[in-house]
Amino acid sequence: MIRSFVRWLRGYVRLCVAGYSPERFLNMCCFHQLFIWGLEPTEKGYGMYMSISDFRKLKPLVRKTHTKVTLEGRYGFPFFLARYRKRKLFFAGLFLCAALLRGYSLFIWDIHFEGNVRYPDTTLAEFLESEGVAPAMLRSRVDCPGIVKAIRKEYNDIVWVSASIDGSRLKIQVKENEDTFPEEETSAGEERPVDLVASADGVITEIVTRSGVPQVHVGDAVKKGDILVLGRVEVVNDSQEVIGYQYHSSDADVFADTQIEYTDTLDLTYQEKVYDGKKKYQPFLRLGGWTVSVGSVRNQYEHSERVSEETQVRLGENFYLPFSYGMKSVKPYSLVERTYTEEEARQLLSLDFKRFCEDLQEKGVQIRENDVKIHLYENSAAASGTLFLNERITEEADTEILTVERKETDESVGTDD
Amino acid sequence: MEREQIRERLASAASMPKDVVMGASVVTLLGDFEVCIENYRGITEYTDSLVRVQTKGGQIRLTGRGLQIEYYTNDEMKVTGKIRTLEFIDGRNRE
Repeated sequence: MIRSFVRWLRGYVRLCVAGYSPERFLNMCCFHQLFIWGLEPTEKGYGMYMSISDFRKLKPLVRKTHTKVTLEGRYGFPFFLARYRKRKLFFAGLFLCAALLRGYSLFIWDIHFEGNVRYPDTTLAEFLESEGVAPAMLRSRVDCPGIVKAIRKEYNDIVWVSASIDGSRLKIQVKENEDTFPEEETSAGEERPVDLVASADGVITEIVTRSGVPQVHVGDAVKKGDILVLGRVEVVNDSQEVIGYQYHSSDADVFADTQIEYTDTLDLTYQEKVYDGKKKYQPFLRLGGWTVSVGSVRNQYEHSERVSEETQVRLGENFYLPFSYGMKSVKPYSLVERTYTEEEARQLLSLDFKRFCEDLQEKGVQIRENDVKIHLYENSAAASGTLFLNERITEEADTEILTVERKETDESVGTDD
Repeated sequence: MEREQIRERLASAASMPKDVVMGASVVTLLGDFEVCIENYRGITEYTDSLVRVQTKGGQIRLTGRGLQIEYYTNDEMKVTGKIRTLEFIDGRNRE
């Protein structure tokens, strides 16, 4: 396969050898290392194939063996070119193709990101664009170390960056730091005296204090707003007198049994959309500020849903072209009044309640008990009751700054002595 | 002839390849449709039913139908077609 392609590329001819002793001619060819293939006897003599370069060396052999060589066919790329040499546009196209390929390969056409989880591709692409790195820029102007530095400088929790050019694609690999705790970082900045107060009424079930002075014990009932942990630590002297205060940002886990009321009502009558199956479409193309569309979505419907979808065309992953296409559609509907059956109302209310519970549990709240019941009335249904929870009830509040009255009189007496 | 025998003994004693020492031709038959011949001097006759190849020790005579020489180089040739007989003929005189 490859060999025949190479033959084609170099060009070959078909010969017919006739005369007194064509065998001698063949043996001479062999002796002079001329490669022959496809040898077959014909009426006049032998037909065979030979490459162009070998064919040029034939003359002395032909003279010596007194044979007659006729050229029967020319094959391969050199002959192909010669045959179409007058087709100027074809060659111009070929040349243009090569030139464009070369020209386009001077640019970066795509930026590919790998390993980013916290920062989406679009964010990184926007940042790079602000740094002057965007698709359709010259490859020679891409400064990989510069990009790496800029990304490391801008994003603190990206711990490793690599930028490399892969053909006409800029490949950026990042490694994000997976162990950062952004909350701690923010609080570590400046310490502000903070108390922890109760965010709801309840009975304390657990208290673990890391800094500050706890003001409540397990089993205490607290009201909303009560101080749980004080950020002000008293400094006392030997005679247990307060001589000063130290202020801290309190930190503690305080859990308490609390309860909340849950109510949810549902009207048994509701409006349902009934579509009558009609739909109007308007496909469109948008190029920059110009829009071309077919059809219209203008209508006199009383109620209708209008949907518009638009997709921007892009090359590769991050090179958006100023060209988009999409479809607008309008779907008319009419409103019909319906009523829920008893069973449907129950299902809807219990589904709502289930979602509410799931939300609470996601926040880390433990539900100990609930006595929520569904009541059905003439025109409505309601779910109501109390939820007994165990949750974290701390809330931050500024610590009151106190000043200590100095007993200067006593001290002055002492020094005077 | 004497010389040939000595050579043959020498080659078998030294377990050297005979095609190198004695210049014997190597004929590889693949089914009845392909023959590969190495170590030959040249073609003496070639039609689509008969191929005669001159070798050092004599001639190889191939008969068949639609014989075609696929390629022909200084040290190897390949003949395809329907092969009926393959004969070795001594000397140059008998044809």
